[in-house]
Amino acid sequence: MSSWEDDDSAAAAAAAAAASTDVELLKRAWRNEKASPEILRFDSPLVSRVREQIQLLEETLDDFGESGVDDLVVSLYQMDLDRTLFLLRSYLRLRLQKIEKYMMHISKSEDLLSRLSQQEQRFAKSCTEMMEKHLEQSVLSKLPYGYDSVTRQSLSSTEDDMGIPFDLIIIPEPQLDTFVFCKTKSDVGAFQLDDIGEEVVDLVADDLYVLRYKSIKGLVESGQIDLI
Amino acid sequence: MYGRRASQLLKEVDSCEAGQLVPFNSDVFDQVIRECNEHNTQFQSLIRKMVEQNLDIETTRNDDHYGAAVHHLSLLRNKRCLMAYMYNRAEVIQSFRWKIGPVLPHEIQEKLHFSEKEYFKNHSAAIKSYMSEMDIDLTVDMVPPKDPYIQVRVLEDIGEVSLGDHSISLTKNSLHFLRRTDTEQFISQFWISDMELVRKHNQADSKQEW
Amino acid sequence: MAGQSDPHLSIFSPSEVEFVAEDEIVEIVPNIRMEALNMICGDFGPFFPQIASKVPLWLAVALKKRGKCTIRTPDWMTVDRLTQVLDAERESPKEFQPLPFHYIEISKLLFDHARDDISDAYLVRSLIEDIRDVRFHKVETGLETISGRTHAVKLKNLSAMEVNIVRPFMVRTLQAFYKHDSPQMIQQADNTGSRPTPVTDRGPRRDLRRSLVSSRLGKNWYLLTVNL
Repeated sequence: MSSWEDDDSAAAAAAAAAASTDVELLKRAWRNEKASPEILRFDSPLVSRVREQIQLLEETLDDFGESGVDDLVVSLYQMDLDRTLFLLRSYLRLRLQKIEKYMMHISKSEDLLSRLSQQEQRFAKSCTEMMEKHLEQSVLSKLPYGYDSVTRQSLSSTEDDMGIPFDLIIIPEPQLDTFVFCKTKSDVGAFQLDDIGEEVVDLVADDLYVLRYKSIKGLVESGQIDLI
Repeated sequence: MYGRRASQLLKEVDSCEAGQLVPFNSDVFDQVIRECNEHNTQFQSLIRKMVEQNLDIETTRNDDHYGAAVHHLSLLRNKRCLMAYMYNRAEVIQSFRWKIGPVLPHEIQEKLHFSEKEYFKNHSAAIKSYMSEMDIDLTVDMVPPKDPYIQVRVLEDIGEVSLGDHSISLTKNSLHFLRRTDTEQFISQFWISDMELVRKHNQADSKQEW
Repeated sequence: MAGQSDPHLSIFSPSEVEFVAEDEIVEIVPNIRMEALNMICGDFGPFFPQIASKVPLWLAVALKKRGKCTIRTPDWMTVDRLTQVLDAERESPKEFQPLPFHYIEISKLLFDHARDDISDAYLVRSLIEDIRDVRFHKVETGLETISGRTHAVKLKNLSAMEVNIVRPFMVRTLQAFYKHDSPQMIQQADNTGSRPTPVTDRGPRRDLRRSLVSSRLGKNWYLLTVNL
């Protein structure tokens, strides 16, 4: 940007470019993760790119300190760094907390595990092991032989245990039937909300809907719709 | 009534404010465990009786069968309640790592079962090992950041002050932009004032005129 | 019932909604010269005295707090425009007028930090408050019209903060209807025979949906919903 005559249009262009920055993408991932009942796919490349940018800015700020750059400029870059760091931490924390909540459910599903980063997978595994150990030593070890399993109610349990369904020792899992607020990015067209085509809604660009998560999760995954 | 004590445990969990914890009820907990063993003894003896009478325990539907079923189901219900009690408490306990930190204060410690203390320690360790693998601290920045700098007016001559890597001269009535954290000691002693607060104060005053 | 209080219902804190709003682009008029800022969130500037420039709201507020710029009031935040919006809001009881998605947070931040840059600030503020009230009243009325037949809600032009406030009520209402309208509830009603079937006009659909029964059993709620 050499001359300031075209500053306005240049700034507008910069603003337009800002709409697709990595931090913007991370913000979208953060919002979707917050609003979705289940854990979404971890975007490793995106997180690495954001971390690289954070590191670069941290180094730049160190250089600024040495070369005596104006305090004002330093403080503005510091704020940019603080905001990005918050977003990253909040996003990673949010995912850990979801894993904590649904640890057993996630640990027994290959599909769900594949959505986690390597580190998250290890976290999920040790969470589950520790919860099982805790339940084992506080409750199960004190129960009579035959009733001391985490996953089975009793040794004789089968599909139907005297009228009680077998799997009533329940593992908490996300409620995919819940309703979520979402915004369409572009026209999706007529969209089927149920399995039999009785509930159809026309999803128009930039509109706001409250819909059942289960019916639109595909659109969230493909990035056609944003949860808000 | 069978199962009543166990449901008392869950009522305790249920009546507790979300995210809070009541003391581990070891009296009732142990009673329920004893009940479970008692149910099992009764169940076993009824089954044994049927076997001694040469009855087919799979198909016979006499008083003893139904008696055994009641004990079996009561035991299962107790087990469900005990598991639900421990699991729900464990969820609250693990949330303390985020809300409080790696070391729990005494008043919380004394509410915990020994296994719960161990669980908290293990769970915190899992979070810690995730954070060191990722090389990022997730226990800070819990709320969105605000501008770390504030504008202050110096009320008294303070003189040369060292702030981190540099020093500045705080003379009376001068205005400065400082990191919020650097100013706290002076503000608390009324040596300088936060201009934002001053402005808000003035705004609030002028608002009353409307 | 404890099982109905889903902690995920309030997912964004007010300060998080504000954080997101701080990325909205506004126009400033700097009174200093400053090099371009190449930040993680985008490139802005260079800045020249009296030449307008577009920056994110957080940056605008930071410069304003440091006495380095004035912030141009957005077009929609004028007495004329807001009066029009308020009239239109009152005239159309079923529609929300288009306003920026973050109009509440943007106006709050500008009132807090750049009040002296807003002409007729007092009037603008009271207009925005009136608009908020009218819109909230509409949301409340809208909630009353939700029924068992509601499978999707469209809320064109509802803003971020409004979404955040209405979310718990909306989701709980929709979920309650959805749950009571679910196949196993209908099945139970069928079995008892004495009670009228809650949904009688659905015919074949009931059978088609019955296959979903097992997947929808509230098993994820077991830990919380042992009947007391």
